[in-house]
Amino acid sequence: MSQRRVAITGLGLISPYGGDLPDFFARLLAGESAVRFLRTEDIPRPLTIPFVSCPGFDADAVLGRPLAGTMDRFAQLGTAAAFDAWQDASFERGQIPGRDDWGVAWGTALGGQLAYEKGYRELWQKGRERVSPLSVILGMNNAANAHISIQLGLGGVSMSHTVACASSAIAIGEAFRRVRSGEAPVMLTGGSDAPQAYGVCRAWEALRVMASGDENTSPSACRPFSADRTGLVLAEGAAALVLEDWEHAVARGARIHGEMVGYGTSCDHSHLVRPEAAGQVRALNAALADGGLSPDEIDYVNAHGTATAEGDPVEVAALKAVFGERAGRLAVSATKSMHGHQLGATGAIEAIVTILALREQAIPPTAHLDNLDPACAGVDHVGSARRGQPLRAALSNSFAFGGSNAVLAFRAPA
Amino acid sequence: MDSIGLIREFLQDRLGAEPEKVVSEAPLDSLGVDSLMMLELMFEFEDRFGITLSKDLKSPQTVGEMAALMDRLRSEQS
Repeated sequence: MSQRRVAITGLGLISPYGGDLPDFFARLLAGESAVRFLRTEDIPRPLTIPFVSCPGFDADAVLGRPLAGTMDRFAQLGTAAAFDAWQDASFERGQIPGRDDWGVAWGTALGGQLAYEKGYRELWQKGRERVSPLSVILGMNNAANAHISIQLGLGGVSMSHTVACASSAIAIGEAFRRVRSGEAPVMLTGGSDAPQAYGVCRAWEALRVMASGDENTSPSACRPFSADRTGLVLAEGAAALVLEDWEHAVARGARIHGEMVGYGTSCDHSHLVRPEAAGQVRALNAALADGGLSPDEIDYVNAHGTATAEGDPVEVAALKAVFGERAGRLAVSATKSMHGHQLGATGAIEAIVTILALREQAIPPTAHLDNLDPACAGVDHVGSARRGQPLRAALSNSFAFGGSNAVLAFRAPA
Repeated sequence: MDSIGLIREFLQDRLGAEPEKVVSEAPLDSLGVDSLMMLELMFEFEDRFGITLSKDLKSPQTVGEMAALMDRLRSEQS
């Protein structure tokens, strides 16, 4: 079967700013942070962390109470994002004939942890002997893709990918391969996560990789590539993309946001949490080769850039190894500085940022980058929005705990 | 609260069902109660009435059947 071109015909995202996708991108270009200080009522010790939530998201209003009631928040966010992407692609929802080979590939690192945690509280905090009968279907990692397949009426593959912070990047890559091979004319893909379960946040805190911040400093708490960075900011969120056989999209007159051309993966195979440049280089080179791209054609990289002490310099080292002398002119930004780290959803959010950068020919910045760490020097760090520079192709990096790396490659719309 | 009242309250909350449509002869599936929601309803009865439903309990078909069954179990287990 000959390889197909892959069009991006639908984009959907639950914005931490509360608005629509154009508003989300405009806020990023403006360097506006969505990070806020979170203080919970938990006992014995409340959570007091910088966090990014989706405060405007009302699951009952978007999905309807009967459907929302059968979902954990990660599935609610994910299904809502999928609905937005589907509508953006001008597809109807429901049981429509001819969609038995259309599928879903979804990423989530945590699945329905909030549902499980609620059950644990019932058992161990309240002393009850049983939990809700919906606990399993709320908590299962494939809940989001299952709901999406049912609601959109898609009879092809429905799969979830759990690869920590690369979950949705890998989901997008696997969806891309199915469309490119001709196996599926349309794939709905993306990811969602809701990490605000008390135990989950405490677990991340114990790793000592979370940024510190209070009411005043939280908006600027996530400082990728800065000498004074203190770590990542957890976030909830969801993003969805419709990947479609190019000819299928053209034949129905679909609007094409851009083209997905490459996908590269690798494993550092060295350490669970300490990233290694060599592994990232392999993923970067694989994505370039897969997309038939030379390094000279890449005009922007949306970095993984979590603002951890170890991760940022290793990523820059990998970019320098791949791009050589040109690295100094390679525009790089880490938008997690503004939208935070959505764990399994962040790859999808950043894929959309990258696609919009190419479509709008505008690069959102790394916010708060006023004190560059010399260990992160050597690429063209974008510290404020940049327009007017032609952008032909771009990469989006996702590098996960476990050493799993995924790089997605996109071209500007033809 | 009696059994029909509990069913009405539950279905209004979960499905937005109008209470006047939750009448004795109404089939539960026509109100939108599927197998999962039946589990939720049974859980709610166990919780609110302090009764225990056996695992092999046959699912009632109508609102009235469910109410009668719950009333009987409540009486037997009180």
